[in-house]
Amino acid sequence: MIKICKVTKTYPNGTTALRDVNIHIKKGEFVFFVGASGAGKSTLAKLLLREELPTKGEILVNGVDIVKLKRRQLPFYRRGIGVVFQDFRLLPEKTVYENVAFAMRVVEEPRREILRQVPAVLHLVGLSHKSRMKPSQLSGGEQQRVALARAIVNNPPLLLADEPTGNLDPDTAWEIVRLLVEINRRGTTVIMGTHAREIVDTMKKRVVALEGGRVVRDDQRGAYGCEEAKAPFVLPEVGEPSGL
Amino acid sequence: MRISTWEFYIREALLSLRRNGLMSLASVSTVALTFLILGLFVLLVFNLDHVAGTLESQVEVAAYLDPDLEDGAHLEIAKLIKEIPGVKESVFVSQGEALDRLRVQFGDRQDLLDSVEDMNPLRHSFEVKAKRPEDVKVIAAEIARLEGVADVKYRQELVERLFNLTRSIRIAGLAVVVLLILATIFLISNTIRLTVFARRKEIGIMKLVGATDWFIRWPFILEGIMLGFLGTLVSIQILNRFYYWFADSVYSSLPFVPVVSPADTLRQLTLFLFGLGLLVGAFGSLVSLRRFLRV
Repeated sequence: MIKICKVTKTYPNGTTALRDVNIHIKKGEFVFFVGASGAGKSTLAKLLLREELPTKGEILVNGVDIVKLKRRQLPFYRRGIGVVFQDFRLLPEKTVYENVAFAMRVVEEPRREILRQVPAVLHLVGLSHKSRMKPSQLSGGEQQRVALARAIVNNPPLLLADEPTGNLDPDTAWEIVRLLVEINRRGTTVIMGTHAREIVDTMKKRVVALEGGRVVRDDQRGAYGCEEAKAPFVLPEVGEPSGL
Repeated sequence: MRISTWEFYIREALLSLRRNGLMSLASVSTVALTFLILGLFVLLVFNLDHVAGTLESQVEVAAYLDPDLEDGAHLEIAKLIKEIPGVKESVFVSQGEALDRLRVQFGDRQDLLDSVEDMNPLRHSFEVKAKRPEDVKVIAAEIARLEGVADVKYRQELVERLFNLTRSIRIAGLAVVVLLILATIFLISNTIRLTVFARRKEIGIMKLVGATDWFIRWPFILEGIMLGFLGTLVSIQILNRFYYWFADSVYSSLPFVPVVSPADTLRQLTLFLFGLGLLVGAFGSLVSLRRFLRV
């Protein structure tokens, strides 16, 4: 699904964020991008969203060279990617429902479709009962679940989560990860950039480790660090994972 | 485009207008003021043109005949005048008729004229009208060359001066209005820039979820158009009231001054200003979108 080939990214200020990066991701995979801040995770996300262009190399998504996409085609390309950030990025003056519906409105989905789809994803993330609340009335974990609902409401084949648990306490973080797993189970390719060692070690999913802009490790069932992970693969029980 | 999409645009635009209340008010006021001044200039120029045109159609050449001319010679001259190209009509005014006209003008001081009754000092003359006002000069020169014509007079100078005045006012007015329109565009674009800034988060999210550039732009363009529309509405109201009042007072106190009738003029002016208002609004917001919304 995604082929990142020999990609180098140097910003205009001279910093080289990525050096000769090669990553292939198949449809339906769940991949962690790990590494310290500045290792290049966010740059990778920006390249995939085509907010930035690589200095060298090519990026193929579903066989399309996204470097060559025309400006006019960008919105349609982006509709294929759901995005979640550390800081949620919800609209404070809109309700939970409106925040999710917004993503469908701006891609001009018919109203019938919006009325059907929004309650369904709110149910999936377990926030049906809070759909009329404003983001400020929700906890951090709930806000991130709204962001997640917004990211998947248009059924994108790829979900990009850039440190989605960065602002959350460990229990709440797990809620989000469980949701990501569920979304992945339904066929969406999920890429999650994270520092959360515990989550990565527990999940035993593919791990791409970045360091100084290079891929230093790419393990199919990896851990955050190089040492052998000892914990067995179990999803910890957390909170009230309604909708799962 | 879906109807629900337009509903969305309009709702977003109205929301912005309200959120930026003070700035919106400033933009609307500027549009209103600019268009008020523009409207006044247009009305002024219309009226000056009208006055000049009325005077122009009245311009005629007066050709006074030689007093020693034999009786009946004027018939020959009349024929010659009619042959001059550009002449619309020529009327012979005899000494006697001229005196009668003078009597009418003198009103109740007929006694002044009684003394000259026997030795009429006035001369026979022709009053010649031109088909086109700009030919008057040439026609006057032609008539002056005819034998038996002693003197030629016409009121061209007044009309020319009036036209010059209209032209200057038009140029000055145009310059002022262009400057004001630029100021209006600047203010509207500034308002929209604030809106864009206030909604940069929303715009970022719209971009992320794949909204097209035009989808993002439309609410802002609509907002600009609304600002232009509201401002125009205010100016039109004021212009209408003012001009009806003005025309009425001129009719009643200076009936001989020709004023352009309000209904037609104002209808045209309204259409023109609304068109311009919407354009200025849309353009103002596009200027700011080009500079501040790198979508």
